[in-house]
Amino acid sequence: MKQRNCIRLLALSLAIVGVCAIVALSFSSASLAQSSLITPGEPRYFAIKGARIVPVSGAPIENGIVVVADGIIKAVGADATIPPEAAVIDGKGLTVYPGLIDAGTSVGLPAPEAPQMGPARGRRAPRPMPSKLSTGPEDRPSTTPWNVAANDLNPDDPRVENWRSAGFTTALVEPQGGIFPGQGSIIDFGDERAGNMVVKPHATLDLSFQPTGGFFSFPGSLMGVIAYVRQVFIDTRWYQQAEAAYNAHHEGVERPPYDRTEVVVGQALKDNELVLLPANEKLRIYRAIRLANEWQIRAAMYGAQEGYEMTSEIAQSKLPVFVNVNWPTMPKDADKDNITLRELRLWDRAPSTPAALSKAGVLYAFYSGGIAKPQEILKNVKKAIDKGLSADDALKAMTINPAQILGVNDRLGSIEPGKIANLVVTDGDLFGEKTKIKDVFVDGMRYQIHEETPPPGPPGHSGKPRPMTQQGVQ
Amino acid sequence: MNAKKMTAKKMSFAKIFVILAVAALVPLFAHAQGNSDNSDVTLIKNATVITITHGRIEHGSILVRDGKIAAVGTDVQAPAGAKVIDGTGLYVMPGIIDCHTHIAVDGDVNEGSISVSSMVNIKDVLNPYDIDIYHELAGGVVIGNVLHGSANPIGGQTIVIKLKYGAPPDELPFPDAVPGIKFALGENVKHSNFSAPGVAPRYPATRMGVEETIRDAFTRAKAYQKKWADYDRRKAAGEQNLIPPRRDLQLEPLVEVLEGKRYIHCHSYVSDEILMLMRVAKEFGFKVRTFQHVLEGYKVADEMAANNIGGSTFSDWWAYKMEAYEAIPYNAALMTRRGVIVSVNSDDADEARHLNQEAAKSMKYGGLTENEALRLVTLNPAIQLGIDNHVGSIGVGKDADFAIYNHDPLSVYAVVQKTIIDGKVYFDRQQDIARRAALESERKDLLAKLEKENQPPKKPAAAESKGEKKNEKKPEKGKRKKTPKPELVAMVAGGAQ
Amino acid sequence: MNATMNAMNPLKSTAKSFAAKSSLMLLALAFALPVFAQTPAQTSSGVYAIKGAKIFTLVGAPIDNGVVVIRDGKIAAVGKDVAIPEGAKVIDATGLQVYPGMFDPVTQVGLEEVSAVNATIDTTETGEFNPDVTAATAFNADSAHVPVTRAAGITEVLTVPGRLGGFGGGGGSVIGGEASAVNLGGWNINDMVIRRHASMELTWPSIQTGSFDFSTFTFTQRPYAEAKKDYEKKIYQLDDLFDAARHYAEAKEKGNPDNFQRDLKLDALAPVVEGKEPLLVVAFKARDIREAVEFCEKQKVRMILAGASEAWKTIDLLKKDNIPVIIGPVLTMPQSEDDPYDSEYTMPGQLYAAGIKIAFGSFNTSFSRRLPQYAGTSVGYGLPHDEALKAVTFNAAQMLGLGDQLGTIEPGKIANLVVTDGDLLELRTQVKYLFIQGRQTSLDNKQLELYERYSHRPKLDSQP
Repeated sequence: MKQRNCIRLLALSLAIVGVCAIVALSFSSASLAQSSLITPGEPRYFAIKGARIVPVSGAPIENGIVVVADGIIKAVGADATIPPEAAVIDGKGLTVYPGLIDAGTSVGLPAPEAPQMGPARGRRAPRPMPSKLSTGPEDRPSTTPWNVAANDLNPDDPRVENWRSAGFTTALVEPQGGIFPGQGSIIDFGDERAGNMVVKPHATLDLSFQPTGGFFSFPGSLMGVIAYVRQVFIDTRWYQQAEAAYNAHHEGVERPPYDRTEVVVGQALKDNELVLLPANEKLRIYRAIRLANEWQIRAAMYGAQEGYEMTSEIAQSKLPVFVNVNWPTMPKDADKDNITLRELRLWDRAPSTPAALSKAGVLYAFYSGGIAKPQEILKNVKKAIDKGLSADDALKAMTINPAQILGVNDRLGSIEPGKIANLVVTDGDLFGEKTKIKDVFVDGMRYQIHEETPPPGPPGHSGKPRPMTQQGVQ
Repeated sequence: MNAKKMTAKKMSFAKIFVILAVAALVPLFAHAQGNSDNSDVTLIKNATVITITHGRIEHGSILVRDGKIAAVGTDVQAPAGAKVIDGTGLYVMPGIIDCHTHIAVDGDVNEGSISVSSMVNIKDVLNPYDIDIYHELAGGVVIGNVLHGSANPIGGQTIVIKLKYGAPPDELPFPDAVPGIKFALGENVKHSNFSAPGVAPRYPATRMGVEETIRDAFTRAKAYQKKWADYDRRKAAGEQNLIPPRRDLQLEPLVEVLEGKRYIHCHSYVSDEILMLMRVAKEFGFKVRTFQHVLEGYKVADEMAANNIGGSTFSDWWAYKMEAYEAIPYNAALMTRRGVIVSVNSDDADEARHLNQEAAKSMKYGGLTENEALRLVTLNPAIQLGIDNHVGSIGVGKDADFAIYNHDPLSVYAVVQKTIIDGKVYFDRQQDIARRAALESERKDLLAKLEKENQPPKKPAAAESKGEKKNEKKPEKGKRKKTPKPELVAMVAGGAQ
Repeated sequence: MNATMNAMNPLKSTAKSFAAKSSLMLLALAFALPVFAQTPAQTSSGVYAIKGAKIFTLVGAPIDNGVVVIRDGKIAAVGKDVAIPEGAKVIDATGLQVYPGMFDPVTQVGLEEVSAVNATIDTTETGEFNPDVTAATAFNADSAHVPVTRAAGITEVLTVPGRLGGFGGGGGSVIGGEASAVNLGGWNINDMVIRRHASMELTWPSIQTGSFDFSTFTFTQRPYAEAKKDYEKKIYQLDDLFDAARHYAEAKEKGNPDNFQRDLKLDALAPVVEGKEPLLVVAFKARDIREAVEFCEKQKVRMILAGASEAWKTIDLLKKDNIPVIIGPVLTMPQSEDDPYDSEYTMPGQLYAAGIKIAFGSFNTSFSRRLPQYAGTSVGYGLPHDEALKAVTFNAAQMLGLGDQLGTIEPGKIANLVVTDGDLLELRTQVKYLFIQGRQTSLDNKQLELYERYSHRPKLDSQP
């Protein structure tokens, strides 16, 4: 009898302690909501109820429910069960889309080093000169394939917040500068530690064909760059073969020299990493198709603004396409006597490319191509819609398509149970002129978007919407 | 493929007979099939046909089928359904072949950073949308030898193309033409006439260094060739654990030169450097296909002829550089008389539009006959490029590449009416003229449309007034003496049409 | 003084024997020197008669089987039945044609030798406004270009200082200086010059957004608005300069010369602003042409438009203001890729049809001899042959106020003539005889000499 009483007493005290703890916790969590220190690790249970849900993977659900927990979409549907822990958001009048993906940007990366400038000549401004004059391919000019975006991420980059506020939860973040600028990583635009933002670190091996040399440093011409890249692939494959042979049998065999480029590019090829080839104008699209074939690489082309001219060739090549939605436009300061019909046609027709690609059955995604204000991205996509692109296809090009091309469509790009909880909640059609973005979920963290996103201040301070957490628990 | 010797190829009579016989039978077959589609058949009829190899045919006709010449003569008939081009009063000659051009290249034509840039390839950057291609078609040109620039002793790989304006880039290279490589000697290569502050002068800076650059490159190429030969031999003998030599894209084309699989086209001016390359070629056992420009070729013509090297030169350019100071317009004629196969080239998109005129000058300067003059831009460049079994003259079996003029092509008054490649009309003067109005109005419409899109929506009034204004921009008279006001500058910058 | 001079000058005292010795020396020298030296190039002016040829006087119909008589540097008589004076050197030109020598009104022959070699170039002075520098001063009478150019039938040129619209030399030059009319035959410039100050050169400043930097071999682009600002500044400067020249000219005329400072530049511009000397304005693009015309109208100067590649877009304006045009090299690309491919070939015919006075200029030194080729090409595209002939002979002379001296075969004019074996404009036509200032002029030149020398090289028997 006494034993049972002790146990009861223990249980009761535990219960009291437990209640106190819970009460304390709830008080403390309530006080945490006001404080500026928010520790990640909250259960992040949310449910959006009564909203129009556009999953992309299926037909829109008019009056639906999305349940999110631990950064994952738990349930989607007209009749999903809402767990009691979930914070319920009234979705009346709201539409939920998968978080948008910008398939090519440098947001999150520090600006590249300013190039060293050459001498000024009279009235002429100094021009960038390469810091070291390269005397041939063996100097590996402008080659840094080991620059992986995920390694240099700065979550405090104010542009991260801007992009997120414009509805972009994810991006292929790419290092800039050089012929082999580095490797692009798929990044979620949460503002946690950099490591928490990385979805896939080695997503793409990027290439640019911009000659970085000039008359006095190799390569100074487009054909020089192409010859150089060709040599790099040849050297890389040679190195793989030579290294294997050498490792198998050291004696009597000359040691293959160590070259960082060959090692890194070799690994990328082995991992079947997607190689990105520049292809903006018609001629360069042809070239990208031909080179992808010659170099036997798994490739995608980026740019494609003149793609409307050759949709069948692009379709036939089966190469996926990243379309630059920073459409070329007639400069306001144009010298009208010197504008050609060729340019006029490009400016007029470039936004019709996505519709043409859709019609030809090409798999393509949109990227921002240097647009500075992310709100312009959707405006530019709207221009493509005005030129015949269906809104459905436009949305796909910013969600499931990039996910598919980049090999992460098992976890991103649509609102399906099991996928990462990246969502955009709007008060209307995504492409509507007056539509506002209300909430953005990144990895299940909720960011409320306010009317005027204040200009990016110093990182970590005022103006940053705080992630919403539970407000008390019953 | 063995390099073709630099001689004219004459088709054997038997061959001609067989082809004619077959051609003659074709209409029978067509007839037998009834209403067969002859849309790929064209008859150019009743023109003065300049064959180059078999004289001129007055009131001649040419039958074209599947892009090739099926018949030539005074009695050629067209099958039903064939397209007919009325050649009355017109002159048909083989399309002009320009042995030195830099059109149709995307980006810089020079990889001028290093003295041996043989790893780069013009084929990688062919641009079929270059307007210069169209301009040259309008001048009767059908084929171009597209070369790397003259910045380096050893330049990039080169390619022969048909000027199929607007076709996909892979359709431009001349099928089966031997690939080339550009060499260059003289002032451009040694950077005589320019330099950059703070940049060390590049080796070579003298003609002596140019020779050594080439000798060094071939020395390395020979070593590379041997390395591969050794590897191949050992592998064939069954040796294991062999690592192949690393492929070197710079040396590979030079090995091809050594093996006779790639033609050297060498930009050169003065006699000493021309002789130099002949000497180096002998030392290393390779051949030079043509000397380009070769403005002092007349001084060493015998040596060139003895070595079977062609000369591709300008008609009458001179005195623009020291090395061009002893250039003479008699160069083409004099080299021809001494036994060199000579072509006249353009090296310039505009010059290429009147190569028929440039060829005619060799009648005045040096007394070439009419046919010899026309050969300078037809059969001779074809021979130099190793494609003379396909083009360069009008004969059965050859490609249907023609330039059609309204006067004798050697006359300054001749105007190209049509240019045809592989039987397809790529330039038609009448159609060009007919199209102009539509293109001009498309341009105006697009400009207006895009300007409207550019205007910020808040100022519709401003947009209207600018839109109506004609091209004359006149800042007010009174303002001339003072510094222009900001509004004036802005109006002028944004509003001038 | 005379005695001293005679003592110092042995030639005078022992004239005959010395003359004999010196002629022998000269003869020896003549063989030693390259053939193209000036010394034996021209005969003395005397009396010549060219007979039996078809004469294109360019005033009226050609004369079949006619005669031209030359005396003391001038055309004495021309016609079908002209009497041949006794003692005249007769040239039997049966089957040949006689034309006025051609006139290249925009060239830099004599001012530059090798374009890439700076030391040989005297075309463009430093600075933007150099109205006072005079081309004839720098004219190299022994330039290899002189015999080469005249051998092609060009007997006189307007050699023009400045950049002629190009980028070379003084990249910013606006007023290049005084262009001089020069015969391409004579002992030295004094002997050859026709008029030292024949025309003032002005290259109309163009709005340049793109430029090529030879030091880095790169092309740089700057904003249109910035380029436009620079351009306007230059135009204001031009306006100011011309206004100042006008005031200067007025002051000079009305006032006491002791009361004002002589200004060489304004002095040079004075006849231009007074309309006494034509202003040769080099402009290619349509908007530059319009601006230039407006400027010249305002400044009341006698404008000759040179270059004029886009003049076909401004025909009405040129017609209205009666502006003569010296057309730049016809064999050139259209200014824009959207322009008709034959815009430059067709333009001369279009301008002529609209009633505009045209002439052809080479705008080049080594290509001066292409002048007839430019004219001939234009004929193929619509310019009447007669007018084309005038456009390479008389028209430019007339524009420059030299029409009473040159350009046709009429008595009293300078005897600059070319005798050919065919149509002057045709490509295969050979020049057979040449007269400049009434002197029979050799066709020898550096290039012909090299040709003949190497034509006679013995054949190489064995491989080198």
